Amino acid sequence: MNTANNATYGTMPPGLFGRGRPSFELGTVVLSTLALIVLCMIFAPSSISSGALAGSLPFAAVAVIVSLGQMLVVQQGGFDLSVPGAISLSVVISTHYPAGNDAELLPAVLLALAFALGAGLFNGILIGVVRLNAIVATIGTNALLYGGVIAISGGVPRTTTPLLSRIAGGEFLGLGYTVWYALVILLIVAVVLKKTVAGRRFEGIGANPAMARTVGLRVRSYELSAYVSAQLLYCLAGILLAGLTSQPTAFLGNSYLLPSVAIVVLGGTSLMGGRGFPVPTALAAFFLTQLGQFSITIGVPFSAQTIIQALALGLGIAVYSFRRS
Amino acid sequence: MTLTSRKIAFAATAALSLAATAAFAEDIPSWCGPDNATLALLDGSGGNSWRQITSASAREEAEKCSSITDFFYADGQGDTQKSISDIKSFAARGVDAMVVFGDAGPAVLPALTAAHRAGVTVVPYRQQVGGEEGVNYAKFVSASFVSDGVNFGNFIKREFPDGAKMLFLSGPAGNSVGLEMLEGLNSVLDERYEYLNPAPFHVTNWDPALTQQVLTAEIAKHPQIDVIISDYGASLIGGLPAFERNGRSIPAITTESVNLLGCFWHDKQANNPDFKLLTRGGGNENGRLAAQWAIALATGGTPPETSVYTSEIFEDSVTGEPSEVQCRRDLPGEIYLSAKLSPEKQLEAINQ
Repeated sequence: MNTANNATYGTMPPGLFGRGRPSFELGTVVLSTLALIVLCMIFAPSSISSGALAGSLPFAAVAVIVSLGQMLVVQQGGFDLSVPGAISLSVVISTHYPAGNDAELLPAVLLALAFALGAGLFNGILIGVVRLNAIVATIGTNALLYGGVIAISGGVPRTTTPLLSRIAGGEFLGLGYTVWYALVILLIVAVVLKKTVAGRRFEGIGANPAMARTVGLRVRSYELSAYVSAQLLYCLAGILLAGLTSQPTAFLGNSYLLPSVAIVVLGGTSLMGGRGFPVPTALAAFFLTQLGQFSITIGVPFSAQTIIQALALGLGIAVYSFRRS
Repeated sequence: MTLTSRKIAFAATAALSLAATAAFAEDIPSWCGPDNATLALLDGSGGNSWRQITSASAREEAEKCSSITDFFYADGQGDTQKSISDIKSFAARGVDAMVVFGDAGPAVLPALTAAHRAGVTVVPYRQQVGGEEGVNYAKFVSASFVSDGVNFGNFIKREFPDGAKMLFLSGPAGNSVGLEMLEGLNSVLDERYEYLNPAPFHVTNWDPALTQQVLTAEIAKHPQIDVIISDYGASLIGGLPAFERNGRSIPAITTESVNLLGCFWHDKQANNPDFKLLTRGGGNENGRLAAQWAIALATGGTPPETSVYTSEIFEDSVTGEPSEVQCRRDLPGEIYLSAKLSPEKQLEAINQ
């Protein structure tokens, strides 16, 4: 543990010293995204047409919100494997309780947030206080959350309410509402992490908890806050996802676990904790979604689509590992 | 009361009871034999509305036969271990017949074989479990999706006699529903009908979010899409408005019927002149056919003529035959109006 934290200690200071010039992480993601856009323009021009983007950006936005949650946890040297359960539970609560009735939507959303708060506290206490291994604890929480999914709905979410459909699916200035929500959330996460004392402490603790404890920071509270914030973000993502798909399934969260980790890695956040990169992470979410759209558009078989995404992830890890070593 | 009126009353009573007996005899289906039996319905993974409605249909079928003295149900909850222990424990409890949706496939075969050898009438259905009839179980009641492909293909040929550009979406890579459907489609359509998707079908994992992304990409890529073929209609709905955003009409669609899709068609058809819809039934009657087989074999009745379930065309927006597109706005979107089980009973089944 100490070795790992010491190893990443060197990656912490650039957040403080690097002001005024773009970070290596941002540069890497921007360059990769630009390269992908050029590839799209040459081989799959329709994938960056306004029609295609109007369809894919809302999903990229959901991926941004989920990944920002995962990023906060990874910054604390943790891993959150309860992403699928958390998203699926909020999808189910926000569709099953209202059952198509708009008036019931607000109570359902509040209930979903309450569950997210509970799950976040549970994760945070198990990992931050009881000191369980993050992977083991969040796998357990994931199973519990799926238990909730089945108990509430019997695995049967209902059709989205018309109001939720408008909240998630509407457009403003040519961009889906979901994209705007993601941008606002990104702004909040970035400002809190980079411009507030609490945010700086949060990053410092992630980079070196032992050191942070020595200087008197409340390490456990910060770790706990990472898991709680992450759950709240997954919950929001789930509610938006329920709004984007007319008849969601009870297991919509399943396809977000690996991408959420992949996006955090591509965004430059070290899996050993420390400094977080909200803007590169958001760009990486767009990159991965667009990569999916690219491979669908050029018409490669599904197996090849999976391989392309795996290669992109491998390349991302290789670039950062090479630089860190 | 005079003697005559007594005679009339007696005659009337006798006639009534005779008629009632005759009617009762008619109500007993041929697959319901004279021997008493108990029946268990074992689901490998019962947690979705389709499965709950299908199980409720099987139960309703069993209720038609008075020789079935007791009916049990267990849900494996997607857990192979639990599915196996369900099969074993019902065999040990001495049920006479069991209808099994073996989601785990061949993994449940040893348990089924043990139950079969212990004298239980074992009828797995829909999901292939391997093994042999008479050796590992009494009868396998399968479902064929080739006929769906043929029905869909005939509709496409009728609406686009000179050929069409088609987009075919199915579930996980290599799933048999999609492959069988493709076989049916190809038996009807010649080379003038072109698939725009990579062979054999676009993989969507039956996930509405992924379906939406695939549809969006394809709509942007192809200026002309004449028909969308899918085996899960409800998942298409999120992606279809992309046609309207691009100033195009939603094209013809052939898929599985569900209330949500019917209502969507009614909402959209006025502004989308090319939006024709052909649906097949939801397939919930597959459970009834399996129950009939199990009951026939366990009670000494006459088994049904076929052990292969094929769903039929349910709605055709062009001809209105066998039905116009149906929509019940007072019911949830996930209700199957094609099912024989009444919508009220379906609601009850999914709200358990």
